[in-house]
Amino acid sequence: MVTGHGRIEHVVRVWLPVGFFLVVALFPFYWMAITSIKPNAELYNKNVMPLIVHAPTLKHYVDLLTKSSFLLWTWNTMLVAVVATAISLILGTMLAYPLARMRFAGASLIAMTIAAIYLVPQPLLFIPLADVINHLHLGNTLTSVILTYPTMLVPFCAWLLLGYFKTVPKELEEAARIDGASRLQTMRMIFLPLCTPGFISAGIFAFTLSQNEFLYALIFLTKSSVRTVPVGVIAELIRGDVFYWGQLMAGALLGSIPVALIYSFFVEHYVAGLTAGSVKA
Amino acid sequence: MIANAARRRAPLAVLLDRQSVFAWLMMALPLAFLAALVGYPFFYGILLSLQDRPVAHVGTFIGLKNFQTDLHDPIFWQVAINTFVYTGVATALKMVGGLCLALAMNQHFRMKNLVRALLLLPFIVPTVLSTVAWLWMLDPAFSVVNRLLVALGWPKPGPSWLGDPTLAMVSIIIINTWRGLPFYGITLLAGLQTVPPELYEAAAIDGAGGWHRFRLITLPLLRPIILIVTLFSVIFTFADFQLVYVLTHGGPQNATQLFATYAFDIAMGAGQLGLGASVALAMLPALALLIVALTIYLRRD
Amino acid sequence: MTKRVTNHPTTRRGFLNLAAAGTVAALSRPAPAAAAEKTITILHESSFIKPFDEYVVNTLAPAYEKETGIKINYEVTSVGSLPTRISTIAETGSGADIAMNGLLQVIQFGEKYLDVGDIAGDIGEAQGGWYDAGREAVLVEGKWKAIPFSNIGQLMNWRTDWFAEVGVKKFPETWEELHEVGKKLKAKDHPFGFELGHGFGDNHGWLYPLLWSYGGAEVAPDGKTVVIDSDETARAVDFCREFFKDTMLDDVLGWTDVSNNKAWMAEQISCTNNAESILWFAKREFPEIGKVTDQAMNPAGPKGRFHLLNSISHSIFSFSPVLEEARAFMRWLMEPKQLGGWYAIADSYYQPLLHGYDNAPMWSVEPRNLPYRDALTSVHLPGWPAPASRQLAESVAKYVVIDMFAKACAGASTKDVIKSAEAQLKGIYRSA
Repeated sequence: MVTGHGRIEHVVRVWLPVGFFLVVALFPFYWMAITSIKPNAELYNKNVMPLIVHAPTLKHYVDLLTKSSFLLWTWNTMLVAVVATAISLILGTMLAYPLARMRFAGASLIAMTIAAIYLVPQPLLFIPLADVINHLHLGNTLTSVILTYPTMLVPFCAWLLLGYFKTVPKELEEAARIDGASRLQTMRMIFLPLCTPGFISAGIFAFTLSQNEFLYALIFLTKSSVRTVPVGVIAELIRGDVFYWGQLMAGALLGSIPVALIYSFFVEHYVAGLTAGSVKA
Repeated sequence: MIANAARRRAPLAVLLDRQSVFAWLMMALPLAFLAALVGYPFFYGILLSLQDRPVAHVGTFIGLKNFQTDLHDPIFWQVAINTFVYTGVATALKMVGGLCLALAMNQHFRMKNLVRALLLLPFIVPTVLSTVAWLWMLDPAFSVVNRLLVALGWPKPGPSWLGDPTLAMVSIIIINTWRGLPFYGITLLAGLQTVPPELYEAAAIDGAGGWHRFRLITLPLLRPIILIVTLFSVIFTFADFQLVYVLTHGGPQNATQLFATYAFDIAMGAGQLGLGASVALAMLPALALLIVALTIYLRRD
Repeated sequence: MTKRVTNHPTTRRGFLNLAAAGTVAALSRPAPAAAAEKTITILHESSFIKPFDEYVVNTLAPAYEKETGIKINYEVTSVGSLPTRISTIAETGSGADIAMNGLLQVIQFGEKYLDVGDIAGDIGEAQGGWYDAGREAVLVEGKWKAIPFSNIGQLMNWRTDWFAEVGVKKFPETWEELHEVGKKLKAKDHPFGFELGHGFGDNHGWLYPLLWSYGGAEVAPDGKTVVIDSDETARAVDFCREFFKDTMLDDVLGWTDVSNNKAWMAEQISCTNNAESILWFAKREFPEIGKVTDQAMNPAGPKGRFHLLNSISHSIFSFSPVLEEARAFMRWLMEPKQLGGWYAIADSYYQPLLHGYDNAPMWSVEPRNLPYRDALTSVHLPGWPAPASRQLAESVAKYVVIDMFAKACAGASTKDVIKSAEAQLKGIYRSA
């Protein structure tokens, strides 16, 4: 860690660069916030300084919440994200634990396969997957996305958890095995509870990816009642070629706040999980 | 602690505890899941790409004709170049910028947790929504940047961010970097925090300056994590869809058309599922090439 | 809900279906209880005019149920999702009985649609005859695969106040005249703004008509020969380049459909090509701008005046389990009493393709919408004069004509852009 000497040096070393990044990262959010409280007359007025609002209004928020299905979409999004994340964490663990702890024939092959699955990003799969979903009659159900999101999340969770698992000291498990515990018992009762930071890390990342997903949702979910926020907002706050900008921006902010809150609570664990065994007691 | 159970255990339990049996049983479910929802569609996608398959029609096998059509399609080549340029430049910017951010954040200051959470916002907000905001920010009539430039002498109304083909590519690179840099930075920060301070102290005692310390200690130790994050970022950027779909839909004149958006237009817009699948599959060799090159470069010892 | 047609196991998917059916049954849509009452499901894209959809649910459906005892289930999918939704229904063989078609769906899904020539013939006879555009929109290989419903037109939108400032009281008749007016207006900081980017409507609405009005075409009426490389096309491209340079904002090269609406309300532009949405939105949100917004037909070129056919029609899925009921419903729906009321409630957003409505009272509600009616004799599908085909759909989806003009405006030579478009079209029409 670098320690600064004196306040001015501290400000320059810390707040100049950090401040720069903060401004760059947050400026668009300022824009979104400003736009979401601007009445239409101001919004479309190109002669007015766009960074200030003269007559703020909450109309866009009210319209968003009352005239569109935004709340329903938020519910759908959260439900899908939570379930898909849970599935991915479970399946990821089931892949990572043997690879981290066991020696068996075919281990490296499996590891390579999982890495290879990375190379199969969504846009490659969406056409055949659409066909599969259609024929399973899962179109317009939340199941379609709950089942398909883990396809992109499981490889990542498996990789992250694998890295984390490898850094957990083996002594406790070996002791339990000597005492006669089965591998399953060891895993469940000794090992997994030690891995909370790793799970949190993988979990919030998976959650973020889920609630950001657009392509599959666009193709599988065409009815308003089952849509997630990204698709609902883009498809329905846009009537043909008329964008309801104020509502769109209000939706953007309301859509990011819950996840940001979750992050602020868990960011410590998120970092700890990624750090993977570096912190020595 | 687990009670000291007698070594008398059922033969089945013993069997299940063998490493290979346990391992394969445990992995059976996730592997089956991936086989069904990734493996099967993947091979089905290959099959589709070898067919003439208009939507709602039965497919007819035509061998490699779709790929031939792609190779003769000037747009296809433009799409390929676009995607490589987009991925390459955005990743480089994110890597360098992320490192700078990580170094800056690797210091003690108040409200660090809050700052860390705030910095992740571009990554958290759903891409399509932040892109809608960018649509407005890149409109010459409303853009703060344009106002600034015009005030400094640029001819009104300032650069056309989404109308000029080159600037449009610049725009999507900027937005992608904005979105991904914080994730890069925070992850690299985590890596930085694992570097034991003793190493720096020892190097400082030996007379190594800041830059030397960075090059000889920090960078090598960060290599693995840089590699992982970069790999991940490259794949996601290469296959990007949302940003372009909302911002320009591939325009102007296909200057921002990427593999994913082109495949989408062909499959969903024209209804040509076979041809669309062939364009999507074209991503695979390109992506594999990128990954291999990257791994070799970053694995160099 | 319609009784679901069981998916007979195909070789590839049968096994997957059987294996998955058990596990996912709980979470998929519940199987409908066998109803003694029949239901017809009609799929529609969410209308720009909300009362239009409400009219079906609140007026038409109850009336039909009262008369025949058959329930009408009106399913609405959001704008842009119609092709995806129809695709799912067509591929799985279930989900709706009647579907609304947009521009390309009759072509793409024609094989799954019932031949409704008899119904269409009767309707035409009873209500003044179909516009040619109606036939053009729904005939696939000589069969009526849909019953035409309407056009959603694209017209020139212009600022009467600013045009008056340069001495123009009536919208110019020809492209050349419009060009001259545009130069003057750009000098006064009121440029034109026509979409040249990858939208879906506001670019087609003027670029295809521009091409046709100079005598150019992509493909010959035989549906096979690529004829885009011609003097006529070159003239259209040259004009477009000058038109862009002299009258428009640079930014239009990257515009999508929403951009000109935004620019209009921000008072950035004095003329553009758009559907009814600008006037409709202006009247509601910016009445002062609405007062000085007018609509006019596309200007004429040396070879005539043209407009885009953005057709809406209705088809019956041939696999529907309630075929006879669906046919009867369509007949009833298209009767003057129902049809007239349905058109009227939508503020002439849907322009009827039957001559019987040429003088209907709906046209006197907003006189500025009259050009939509007048344009109906000169509307054509993008890709005309070639007949509707999957290749036409591919050309539209790949923005062949749009990009040809846009690249020229961005500086490429006319020869190059036409050669490039020709190469693309030859590839697309390879299997014609």
